[in-house]
Amino acid sequence: METPEQTVMERLEHGSAPPPDAEVPAAHTFEVKNVSIWYGEKLAIDNVTLDVAANAVTAIIGPSGCGKSTFLRALNRMHELTPKTRMEGTVLLNGEDLYSSTVDPAIVRRRVGMVFQKSNPFPTMTIGENVVIGLRLNGVRNQRFLNERLEKSLRMAALWDEVKDDLHKPGTSLSGGQQQRLCIARALAVEPEVILMDEPCSALDPIATAKIEELIYQLKARYTIVTVTHNMQQAGRVSDYTAFFYLGRLIEYGPTTKIFTNPGEKQTEDYITGRFG
Amino acid sequence: MRFERAHNHTWRKIKSALAVGIAFGSALLVITPLGLVFFYLLINGAGSVNWDFFTKLPAPVGALGGGMANAIVGTLELLALAGVIGIPVGVLGGVYLAEYGSARLNSVLRFLADVLNGIPSITWGVVVYGLIVLRFKGCSAYAGGLALALIMIPLILRTTEEVILLVPNGYREAALALGVSRWKTIVHIVMKTASKGIITGILLALARVGGETAPLLFTAFGNRFWNHSLSQPIAALPLQVFTYAISPYDDWHRQAWAGALVLVTGVFCVNILVRILTRGRGASVV
Amino acid sequence: MVVPKHILGTFDDALTSLRKDLLMMAGLAERSLDRAIKGLLQRDDDLCTHAIADDEEIDQLEKQIDKDGFEILLRYQPVASDLRRVISAIKLSPNIERVGDQATNIAKRARKLNRHPPLPEVQMIVPIQAHAMSMFKDSINAFARENVELAHSVCSRDKQLDDMNRDANRKLTELMMEDREQLRGYFNLILISRALERVGDHATNIAEDAVYAAAAEDIRHKSLAASV
Repeated sequence: METPEQTVMERLEHGSAPPPDAEVPAAHTFEVKNVSIWYGEKLAIDNVTLDVAANAVTAIIGPSGCGKSTFLRALNRMHELTPKTRMEGTVLLNGEDLYSSTVDPAIVRRRVGMVFQKSNPFPTMTIGENVVIGLRLNGVRNQRFLNERLEKSLRMAALWDEVKDDLHKPGTSLSGGQQQRLCIARALAVEPEVILMDEPCSALDPIATAKIEELIYQLKARYTIVTVTHNMQQAGRVSDYTAFFYLGRLIEYGPTTKIFTNPGEKQTEDYITGRFG
Repeated sequence: MRFERAHNHTWRKIKSALAVGIAFGSALLVITPLGLVFFYLLINGAGSVNWDFFTKLPAPVGALGGGMANAIVGTLELLALAGVIGIPVGVLGGVYLAEYGSARLNSVLRFLADVLNGIPSITWGVVVYGLIVLRFKGCSAYAGGLALALIMIPLILRTTEEVILLVPNGYREAALALGVSRWKTIVHIVMKTASKGIITGILLALARVGGETAPLLFTAFGNRFWNHSLSQPIAALPLQVFTYAISPYDDWHRQAWAGALVLVTGVFCVNILVRILTRGRGASVV
Repeated sequence: MVVPKHILGTFDDALTSLRKDLLMMAGLAERSLDRAIKGLLQRDDDLCTHAIADDEEIDQLEKQIDKDGFEILLRYQPVASDLRRVISAIKLSPNIERVGDQATNIAKRARKLNRHPPLPEVQMIVPIQAHAMSMFKDSINAFARENVELAHSVCSRDKQLDDMNRDANRKLTELMMEDREQLRGYFNLILISRALERVGDHATNIAEDAVYAAAAEDIRHKSLAASV
């Protein structure tokens, strides 16, 4: 039996069904338990516990200095690059402790890729070299394998058609939006399980932003994505779950639709409606 | 209404013009000696710069002709020696300062390097004389090369450190986030990005020590003939110029002018090379 | 309810003006309904004409609220309570406009009744009018004060109004059969009663939107949803 809805959809020749309600997450990629992070004496993250849903986009929002970037970086141990950091709590990636003493941070980062606010293709390298540099420096020498991965990564980053004839040109010759997608391709090339994005569109114009957002939506099928954003509308558009941070604490975490129509906490409401300050 | 104080404006314009004029005059004062020196060298030395100068050994006193072939080759040998010792130490030290070490240790090292940069070059000659020449009982190309290397090290160290610090942190983070190890990131990403700056620093240091005379006086010592072993004294262009210039012979004076001209031209060429290198493609940030 | 203020002052201004227009519209609808009924009970054609004239302004305000609501959505992309308030305002205004229409309807029928000798049965309308009016006023109050309880009470009172309307219908139909002379008059009273019953329905809709605006809870078609 066809439901009336299906009949109408078929009549409109529109194949895809509406996305299911993101109420109950199927699986968790990250399980963050009681994480606190200090920079020197300053407490940047205050006892945060949160599970990141697999194959979904989780947006982290909050005012500047609320610890959202620090939290993101704690998910692939990038925060350790800042001197004098101290951390407590556990972060499990698919059940494995990221901070176990036997774990090499480099391996963590191979499994948890990252894209930054400012697109940063390596200036001394061509577009092609930029994509495969992660593999090359991790010891992959097989040129055929590298070429395959190069094309695959660029295709996934929706950049292949635009650059396939210019792979030998410098990575910095691309436009800002293309550079950011190149950086996403570079992160994808090492086949991570998760992609972290730290305000990936904040330096881009609306069209380039829309392309990245569409890309995020496409990548969700294969990767778990955690993105930090200042742009609330963007969080609303791309994410399934939203976490609101304020003063280092996780104030509220839940399905994006819920957060943006009926937040449970007054601080969240004040922030997203622009009543802060 | 707001524009009525026109006389004020005129006075401001005069002050501005005055300031620009003084600055321009100062700039001219800086450039003038360079022009004068080069011009004077050309007048006095150009006549003696010929094929023989580059191919012949120095002629004995009174004999016509002769050249400085041994000194030119000697200077190149000394620079090669100095480079072999000084470049790796200087570059790696600079990398350490920029990428590793604690803030306190680094500021001490940086201060020491700046002090070393300010030490008169003859001091290095004395140091090497005491350490090497006395111990091995004789001046040698090695001793000369070492003296020049010691001058180069703090120079290269500081320039390397500075250009490496200029590499935006985003590139380091991008590489580390790909799971690349720290030292591979530094070698393949950071140093590659800063390579033009590092090479520039090396070339400028070579140009600087290539013209040094004092540290060579009692290390390389000088040699009227071809040097056949690096453990023997060796000729160098600035040394030869010095020896000839203080001699009482007109022939030698002319040769000294020619030597100085070649030296200055060499340094000039290195600087132009540096300019070309640093201009280059826009790809590199530093 | 626009406290604390937004960082963006113009956003506050736009929300305030939207709210003011909505309350103005509700006030006009109330007055129009009141005048129409008074015109009927006091046999005053002037009041009826005023009631009909008010509707013109109500219609204009409905258009204004739509326009301002869309503009707020477009310019400020409101979220959370702001979004709910704007959406409710846009959904509320047609209901208020329909209440205005019902007032016009009543006023027109009152003028027709006023041309004939008075009917004592007009008094049957009084309790229905009182009930419908209180529902409408309370629904607007519930929205304006974001009072969820009051809104719920409005919804639960609709059943009673329906019953009152049915009773009046039955009695008037009987009278129509007994007294053929007054058939037209009774018929108009039936339609006036029905118009008041419709006002109750609109008040219920407004109250439901008020609950959504205040508590982000959709209470419409509850029984239906529960049975699915």
